[in-house]
Amino acid sequence: MTSRLDGPLKVTGRATYGADNNFPGMAHGYVVLSTIAHGEIEAMDVTAAKSAPGVLAVYSPFDPLALRAPTSSLLGETWVPMQDRNVAYYGQPIGFVVAETYEQARDAAMLVEVSYRALPALTSLRDGLATAEDAPPAMDGSPPSLSVLADGVESIEDALAASPVVVEATYATAGQNHAAMEPHSAVAVWDSGVLTVYSGTQGADLQAADVASALREEPASVHSVNPFVGGAFGGKGKTSIPTFLAAAAARALDRPVKTALSREQVFTATANRPATVQAISLGAERNGTLNAIRHDSWSATPMDRSFVEPTSHGTSREWYSTRNLAISQKMVPLNIPPTTFMRAPGEAPGSFALESAIDELAVALDLDPIELRQRNNSAAPPGRDLQWSSKHLDECFRVGAARFGWSERTPQGRTDGDWLVGLGTATAMFPAMRFPATVGITLHDDDTAEVATSGADPGTGLLTVLSLVGGESLDIAPEKVTPRLGDSSFPAGGMSGGSTATASAGSAIMVAAPRVIDDLLALASSPGAPFEGAEVSYADGRVLGGGASMTFGEVLHAVGRPSITATGSSAAGEEMTKHSFSSFGAQFCEVRVHRWTREVRVSRMLGVFDAGRIINAQAARSQIMGGMIWGVSAALHEGLETEANGRTANGDLASYLVPVNADIPDVDVHFVEHPDTLHNDLGARGLGEIGTVGMAAAVANAVHNATGIRVRHIPIMIEDLLPE
Amino acid sequence: MRQFELSAPETVDDALASPGAFLAGGTTLVDLMKLDVMTPHRVLDINALPLRGIDTQDGLRIGALERMSDVAAHPGIYPVISRALLQSASQQLRNMASIGGNLLQRTRCSYFRDVAMPCNKREPGSGCSAITGANRMHAVLGTSDACVATHASDLAVALIALDAQVRLVGSDGTRTVALADFYRLPGATPEVENDLRPGELVAEVVVPRLDWAAHSTYVKVRDRQSYEFALCSAAVALDVRDGRVVDARVAVGGVASVPWRLRTVEAALRGSPATQASFEAAAEAAAEGARPLSDNAFKVSLMKRTVVRALLELTEGSRA
Ligand SMILES: Cc1cc2nc3c(=O)[nH]c(=O)nc-3n(C[C@H](O)[C@H](O)[C@H](O)COP(=O)(O)OP(=O)(O)OC[C@H]3O[C@@H](n4cnc5c(N)ncnc54)[C@H](O)[C@@H]3O)c2cc1C
Repeated sequence: MTSRLDGPLKVTGRATYGADNNFPGMAHGYVVLSTIAHGEIEAMDVTAAKSAPGVLAVYSPFDPLALRAPTSSLLGETWVPMQDRNVAYYGQPIGFVVAETYEQARDAAMLVEVSYRALPALTSLRDGLATAEDAPPAMDGSPPSLSVLADGVESIEDALAASPVVVEATYATAGQNHAAMEPHSAVAVWDSGVLTVYSGTQGADLQAADVASALREEPASVHSVNPFVGGAFGGKGKTSIPTFLAAAAARALDRPVKTALSREQVFTATANRPATVQAISLGAERNGTLNAIRHDSWSATPMDRSFVEPTSHGTSREWYSTRNLAISQKMVPLNIPPTTFMRAPGEAPGSFALESAIDELAVALDLDPIELRQRNNSAAPPGRDLQWSSKHLDECFRVGAARFGWSERTPQGRTDGDWLVGLGTATAMFPAMRFPATVGITLHDDDTAEVATSGADPGTGLLTVLSLVGGESLDIAPEKVTPRLGDSSFPAGGMSGGSTATASAGSAIMVAAPRVIDDLLALASSPGAPFEGAEVSYADGRVLGGGASMTFGEVLHAVGRPSITATGSSAAGEEMTKHSFSSFGAQFCEVRVHRWTREVRVSRMLGVFDAGRIINAQAARSQIMGGMIWGVSAALHEGLETEANGRTANGDLASYLVPVNADIPDVDVHFVEHPDTLHNDLGARGLGEIGTVGMAAAVANAVHNATGIRVRHIPIMIEDLLPE
Repeated sequence: MRQFELSAPETVDDALASPGAFLAGGTTLVDLMKLDVMTPHRVLDINALPLRGIDTQDGLRIGALERMSDVAAHPGIYPVISRALLQSASQQLRNMASIGGNLLQRTRCSYFRDVAMPCNKREPGSGCSAITGANRMHAVLGTSDACVATHASDLAVALIALDAQVRLVGSDGTRTVALADFYRLPGATPEVENDLRPGELVAEVVVPRLDWAAHSTYVKVRDRQSYEFALCSAAVALDVRDGRVVDARVAVGGVASVPWRLRTVEAALRGSPATQASFEAAAEAAAEGARPLSDNAFKVSLMKRTVVRALLELTEGSRA
């Protein structure tokens, strides 16, 4: 099994993350945050801070660093601090102190006195439901509300009314913070008119463009470097506040500047997954055939309405075969920190609601929940002609049920001593996509190759994938391939997000490799070259022709070329007009709930996935495990709490709980491998995010099986399960 | 963290002679200094002081500087104590943290820990943010209109159940105080948490001999399985003979302003059969006088259930 190339560096502390870079004369910045949720900054007294030891500069809305909000086609506008005096949420960056040391900057920041003119703040999603607005169109351009109705059916209400069995319920999911191990941070260095920013990001070329735009510099004069990223999960898609501030301050002060958010600051000065409320109605025939699905969603969004969690579009739009479907997405603007993508945006919280509702329907029909799902298995998304390219969800459930011992489940669960034991399951789906990516392949005269793209490996294993797919495409051992990532000077790799990187970069490698091999062969048979005039071919890292063979390094040597390079690009293409694409999975989980004190403990979990071809079994398994653990976390532990005044009540890792080892049993992951070459030549579909999808519902469904209590919100707490 | 001066006295007399904040394991002190909640100008590292030793000859005597992990692992420690310790914090913290420091740890109330928020305990008279704020983790017993924070030590709950005392050393000499009297209810002065005088050291914890405390346990209910403070915990010891409870000790944590002894529950248990029915009946008195807040009413029922669970586990054997 191939292990991770960057594993040894990471576990021995030798991987250099953004903030690990140090330069002579480097100054340190500390961000000042607001302590009201809505209002205007009337004054900021920075006198004491300015005269504190070591302080070099104190920036504020009254004396700001010059920054402009950059816009990208993928992520829209990115807000930059201090350009006006408005406060729209508690914990908003409103100032920046730069000093000789980190401690001096932090101590001085505590001396900044802010006076506000406070305005009423709206901070509760529940209170804001009444003033919800239509969400903007979804990522794919579809309108916020849409329906697919069978011929002769007037409305979804009619379809539900005509259904013999109907379940209706409202579900809620809490906001979440990405809580990546590496806090958002940056080191910015100007050298001869070129700015280098060392900062963890999901896309070096995008970050370089953002920073150039924010500083009004030429794109060519900004270089972004992030060979390692300490976790991102969507939270490092947009360029972060420390990156803008360090870059601007480094220019203003003519010194390298380092800035890192504290863990507490990460909770408000970055962006979170928004909380949601979702109302679902399912109408079915007595045999379980779905007649109608209605899924109405409300997502919290910050006052700038910059991101909405697309829970209806991410799930009910595509998951089941149904004659009638109506979905809607609304947003509730609140005085809360920014929101953004987080692992399986839409699908993760959406699947909690939809897959809980399906479980409720199974109970209402007295049908096995797997049986119910299989009866409504779709060949294509409702109302669409394009069939799934390769769907083996049935097999996932079949294999999973056998592996997990599902047949021993009873509708009432069972008891084991003082523990109530229940089993739950859920479907997982995540769209298979490709983002535009370009990869450069260089063959060197020492018989090694280099595969480079500016994209990122935030722990996903992309670095290793580059060497594996590179080796395969060049017909050489992967050890001969040096993969390179995380540098905006490499061919534009776009963003590592949307579970697309392996399919996108991998496909681009498969375009670049034949090109560089063609170039090599042309070179080998060119006048004066070893195979001049011969019929040449390539295999096993060697050029063959006229009965002779040479390695590519030997050929390059012979012609006096140290290396040759070719690039290849890939993007979503023609295939999108022929099929629908998704990865699929079946989640299983067993929980134990204490009879007296009602703690929920997950005792077993299994995920079986159909994600096309698996390139690196170890990395794939790790991704899925991580995702499943995220799902347990969302189900039982994690949830941002916003107080009435907009303060995040649990904005640190002491009170924002994530599972510890003791909470996680062995995690069983299994793949049914069916390469999907209709999606891309590699046959691989994304599997970064699907691991978390459905898991929270599987936990909640298992809790219901164990206790008979249906909890329709996550995280599920002890008090939800205490009988009166 | 503000600048401070660090010294390391080698004798108790030297430590008592110089004012400053005592540093043992530092897992509370340094944490709160980083948050700007505690801002001592002088810090005295007391780790060289001879406040060590675990003696199990006649009851227990535990030096204030003994580490939580060492005490938990020591043979002859009553189970309720070692279980309380082993369910506290993490192994890394237990290796660092001292027994004296544990008893003096500050509350985990998130408003106490955030200097941007009013808190009567941190800044007397500034107000209590928790009463109207996020108070799920807070206390329902022993609270006042000025403070609803819990005392977060698990060890203290076990010790209170066992009638433990602390030996204190000050410049005026040595005194011994029952732990039950040592902790102060918040009342109107939540900033005063205990009976310790300025400059006084906790030298030793003394637990009177109680042979049937070999039959004791600690149940801790929390939002994850490890590395988290109690929503509710129960320390219980039972003397059961011929199916009847002869004597009982019961205390609860995570629900009260100070480690909370349940003497009425103990009285109800005494003389009753060791059965689930009588445990449930006795536990009814557990939450007497409880004043639930907006987010923590569930602690009233959870407290009774935790007590019942602990009593059952003790009489029926652990049923993991
Ligand atoms: C992440 C985390 C999780 C935790 N979880 C738990 C838990 O689950 N259960 C639990 O019970 N505790 C928990 N704790 C608290 C931990 O047990 C205490 O921080 C620790 O016991 C304090 O001991 P220390 O030696 O480090 O104290 P210090 O930090 O050194 O001191 C604490 C206080 O006591 C004073 N002090 C120390 N020793 C003496 C002495 N001999 N005489 C007089 N004054 C003294 C200090 O001046 C200071 O004010 C947790 C702490 C952390 C950081």
